[in-house]
Amino acid sequence: MALIERPATRDGGLVPAVVTPSSSYGVFRRPVETKGWKSWLFTIDHKKLGIMYGVTAIFFFFLGGFEALLIRAQLATNEGTILSADKYNQMFTMHATTMVFLFVMPMAAAFANYFVPLQIGARDVAFPRINAFGFWCFLFGAIFINTSWFLGGAADGGWFMYAPNSSVPFSPTSGIDFWTLGLQITGIASLTGAINLIVTVINMRAPGMSLMKMPIFTWMILIVQFLLLFAIPVITVALFLLMFQRNFDATFFSVEAGADPLLWQHLFWIFGHPEVYILILPSFGIVSEVLPVFSKKPLFGYPLVVFSGAAIGFVGWGVWAHHMFASGLGPISVAVFSVATMAIAIPTGVKIVNWIMTMWGGKLVFTTAMLFAIGLIVQFTIGGLSGVTHAVAPSDTQQTDTYYIVAHFHYVLFGGAVLGIFSGLYYWWPKMFGKLLNETLGKWNFWLMIIGMNLTFGPMHIIGLQGQPRRMYQTTDARAGEGFFNLNFWNLVASIGSLILGIGAFLFVINVFYSHRKNGPAPLDPWDARSLEWMTASPPKEHNFDAIPTVHHLDEFFHRKYEDRGEGEHHEYHQVATAEDVLAEQEANADKHIHLPSPSYWPIVLAFGLPVMAYGVIYNIWLIVVGGAIVMAAMYGWGLEPATATPDDYDPPTPEGGAELEVAHG
Amino acid sequence: MADTAVHAATDHGHDDHGTHHTTTGLSNNKLAMWLFLGSECLLFGGLISTYMLYRGRHSENLGPDQLWDIPFTSASSFVLLMSSLTMVLAVTAAKRRDDRNTSLWLTVTAMLGALFVAGQIYEFTVFYREGLGFTTSLFSSSFYTLTGFHGVHVTVGVIMLLSVVGILMKRRTGEDKSELVEMVGLYWHFVDIVWILIFTLVYLIPA
Amino acid sequence: MSERPSTPRRLAHAARLALLGAGALAISACAQDAPQDTWAPEGENAQTIHNLQWPIFLVAGIVGVIVMAVVLYAVIKFKDRGQPIPEQSHGNPIIEYTFIALPAAILAVIAGFTVNTIFDLAETQDTECVINVTGQQWWWEYDYPVAADGSICGYTPSNAAAVPLITSGQVIIPTDTKVLIRGTSRDVIHSFWIPKLNGKRDMVPGRVHTWRFHADGPGIYAGQCTEFCGLSHANMRMEMIALDPDDFQAWLDNQLEPYQSPEAGTLAAAGEVTYVSQCARCHQVDGLVDGNGDPIVSAPDQWVYSGAAPNLTNFMTRNTFAGASWDLLTPACRDEVWNASPEDFGAAYLKGVTPECLNEIDLKEWLRDAPAKKPMYADATALLETDGKVRGMPNLGLSEDQINELVAYLLERK
Repeated sequence: MALIERPATRDGGLVPAVVTPSSSYGVFRRPVETKGWKSWLFTIDHKKLGIMYGVTAIFFFFLGGFEALLIRAQLATNEGTILSADKYNQMFTMHATTMVFLFVMPMAAAFANYFVPLQIGARDVAFPRINAFGFWCFLFGAIFINTSWFLGGAADGGWFMYAPNSSVPFSPTSGIDFWTLGLQITGIASLTGAINLIVTVINMRAPGMSLMKMPIFTWMILIVQFLLLFAIPVITVALFLLMFQRNFDATFFSVEAGADPLLWQHLFWIFGHPEVYILILPSFGIVSEVLPVFSKKPLFGYPLVVFSGAAIGFVGWGVWAHHMFASGLGPISVAVFSVATMAIAIPTGVKIVNWIMTMWGGKLVFTTAMLFAIGLIVQFTIGGLSGVTHAVAPSDTQQTDTYYIVAHFHYVLFGGAVLGIFSGLYYWWPKMFGKLLNETLGKWNFWLMIIGMNLTFGPMHIIGLQGQPRRMYQTTDARAGEGFFNLNFWNLVASIGSLILGIGAFLFVINVFYSHRKNGPAPLDPWDARSLEWMTASPPKEHNFDAIPTVHHLDEFFHRKYEDRGEGEHHEYHQVATAEDVLAEQEANADKHIHLPSPSYWPIVLAFGLPVMAYGVIYNIWLIVVGGAIVMAAMYGWGLEPATATPDDYDPPTPEGGAELEVAHG
Repeated sequence: MADTAVHAATDHGHDDHGTHHTTTGLSNNKLAMWLFLGSECLLFGGLISTYMLYRGRHSENLGPDQLWDIPFTSASSFVLLMSSLTMVLAVTAAKRRDDRNTSLWLTVTAMLGALFVAGQIYEFTVFYREGLGFTTSLFSSSFYTLTGFHGVHVTVGVIMLLSVVGILMKRRTGEDKSELVEMVGLYWHFVDIVWILIFTLVYLIPA
Repeated sequence: MSERPSTPRRLAHAARLALLGAGALAISACAQDAPQDTWAPEGENAQTIHNLQWPIFLVAGIVGVIVMAVVLYAVIKFKDRGQPIPEQSHGNPIIEYTFIALPAAILAVIAGFTVNTIFDLAETQDTECVINVTGQQWWWEYDYPVAADGSICGYTPSNAAAVPLITSGQVIIPTDTKVLIRGTSRDVIHSFWIPKLNGKRDMVPGRVHTWRFHADGPGIYAGQCTEFCGLSHANMRMEMIALDPDDFQAWLDNQLEPYQSPEAGTLAAAGEVTYVSQCARCHQVDGLVDGNGDPIVSAPDQWVYSGAAPNLTNFMTRNTFAGASWDLLTPACRDEVWNASPEDFGAAYLKGVTPECLNEIDLKEWLRDAPAKKPMYADATALLETDGKVRGMPNLGLSEDQINELVAYLLERK
């Protein structure tokens, strides 16, 4: 917990005391700040970390979006000159890298960090300091990758970084080195986060919350963490091999030394396909929360949604080679992977059906969050169906590496992952910040994004089926065709669409500033929500819950608010309590002792050592030693530091240490 | 990384308000270690696959047949295997809260681990003298990468073992350290098992 | 939270989506003029793919329309109009299992046809002609091996003994013939794709991949490298030219015509001298000899990273250059070839590039400063790591006179 609170006065309730650290903490004094930048820098509070993940991720969303706009500007005319071939290649490489690794993944981590403990009735994650370490790894790794723009150019091999095009002879700048090393660092964030969240979900659920009473978002996050747990080491191997190849003269991908370039493709896609589900499942979880709330019905077929999520997670490991249908695997492999890929459409279809059935017979309220969720159903369905057309391997040999694929995965990732994320932002914003976002601006936000995305990615179906390959910095009139299917025309439409999309997405930022200026505090339960995270204050107290609730139902909060007074087949729900009542009851039974871990310097210091080492790999071996020394020192500092501050860290010393929090109510 | 997982042991280990209690009854720390080791399986899986793909791609006179010294490597493998035995003894001692014997066996385990690493370094030196550098062939690159990764894991394990010994010496308060020892033990056994796999696939099965 | 404006807009929106999802995709089969249209098969292999893909697009389109219609209906029908809180039902097994079984059944049928087609397309036993294809940054080289019986691609040259033919940019095949290409790469992975004749196949260095082509009738079939291969990936194109048997025979015979030096005193003769001093290091012209009568053999491996440069022996029989990225024909002449009727196509193509049809502008720009036209790390200072070997044609600093001479010389290479 970042905030160390203890009662300043017995009768004053929870007033954060002004505390000055003593020098008793070895050479360094332990951070105990409750306010100001230090309370963020050294925090281990899952909520603060969640917000930091979110803010960083959204920053990278707009950076990646800016890169996308440059790409579309270049392609608006058939012989665009806004970007050189070199810059264009860097741009699409970094657009994908940014959106996948620096936006969607950390955004899911933001929601997971913030809401998983709240949804399962925990006071923090299992390993708060590792959690902080993960965030700083992500941030420093992300900054590290992007410094390549100023140090000779960014990576230019495409996010899939196929060998041998990623070798030094074909990409002599350091861009790919930054990419390789940076992704190793952000990979640490994903791996530690995965272990942390799995342990949290498995071990720290509130009493009564069996796995099948767990909110669906938490379920999807759990599945995603297992995917990360097993996918990250595979890409780590690939990245290490590439690093040895580029920086230490190994020949893992040098054909002249007898290497097989397909090794990289297999390693990359064994990671890369589970990665697709890593990107999409959190958003599936979000809309599976949002749809029931605004339909006033439980999620239809909850067990099936859980199992289909798990099935996607399993089968997702057996379909990687569908990215390689054109790479000459031989007909038997192609047939096997083709059929496996079709099989994965079944659990995905299950989810669509269950979402629609959740709305069916409901009492639908079209808030912005709900609109984004419905948007996801529609847009993702388009992406899913175009996905079926290239699960069919022969058909895929016509479509792969054309704009048809670009259309497909943007419908899946933008129409799926991003719309889900926006749905979650609008839905959970009042919980995180205690302010509602403006609904009118929100609807503009939604409709402009929907129109923009369909104008941008819709025409790409045509462009692709008309045979325009991806990753070309210029196209030629000679291959553009004439009439309705003129590719120059549709490329221009896509470029205009991207501008609308950009404006639509930016409305979100405007909305945030506007709403925080204009709106008063949000009601405790603005959406009449159903799950545990709404059974706390908004924003939640540092210790999340005054008393850990005991769970009896899936949708526990709903069942505390409503009672079915109907008889037999007839149902009649009456509100018997408000969120305020539920909260008051909790406060009345507040836990007397809440023990929270204290802030720490070490996560950020440890994470800081990693990019130092990475710069060392590229520039100077001695920097590796310096970075390594920082890492070692931080590890020992970390190891020797107790989880909670000792009484001596405070002035005046407290009897039990600063993390002891007494809830004075009642 | 392994280190951070161990240090995290302190995060929730000292809760004196009875919240040791977890939903499943499993300790958070041990569960985390199991998950980490699960992840490590895939790491070594990738490295072993790479080696298996490239094992035959070397020049005529610098392949496994010319280089391997099976008796020597068998001996060092035996040393590592024995260290698993001493690790078991350390864990049982820790469960008895017998700090003295725990420290003793942990130290012996660390020594055996260090001996193994020393053997590996010696072996690498011999190979290098015979002309097998890291970049000599695909076989050499993938061999050094795989065994090097394993060697680093053993080294990290040795550091962890010695750190636990240090903690035991410093805080001889009789409190239960068995979980910490057990976690290091899990890691150590894993590293051993991986070596058995590597030894079999790399050294024993002919290319 | 008033919802009034959103419903009609949603209607319009959904209708547009439905159109986009199914309609546009279906109509695209009727496109006339896109040279790389994937829905306009003109040969056996592409037809096999198309027979499989259009019903799947249709099914996908129908499913998409149904899903959207249902969502639209639910959105309108179940809007909150003050109805009581609905039953807190957690599901309905019949619906749930139906919607597992239904897509599973559809997909099983699709899978059956798919697997069948995969093996059909992998068939190579009945191959009638073999051509080797090699990709490098950023152009394709084709070489026609000589079979044991002295034939090339199933045809025996009538004017000379067969020797392996090497060409680039445009690959010539006989119509109605089952052609097998054996492909590889000299540097990074490239992908060979002629959409109207077949799907794509990666050409991977160190591996040989085979891929079948068949053209129903004569014509030019456009293609493009589709695996990202570095700086000028966009400028790596290819064209497959199908010629009727007689025309193919004529093309083959012409390729094997012995070399003829330009008439002494002409501009082209000066061009030959310039060619030998400036171009022959990398580019091969078969039959060219030096003062001693020894053949001049190019050594691109010493200068170019991929170790190859296009063979220029019959340069002007092709009508594109630099990775098929630019035309050697003026736009008007180009149209005559591209739009020729099947009967006239062979004659039109076999004319090659005549002086009046030559697109001098692009060719001269290329000779003046190739890297300015096609980005390719020709700047040797950026290539220290690769011993300064260029990645494509460098700027040779030719004078305008030299360029004119070279153009004149090249015009006779046919």
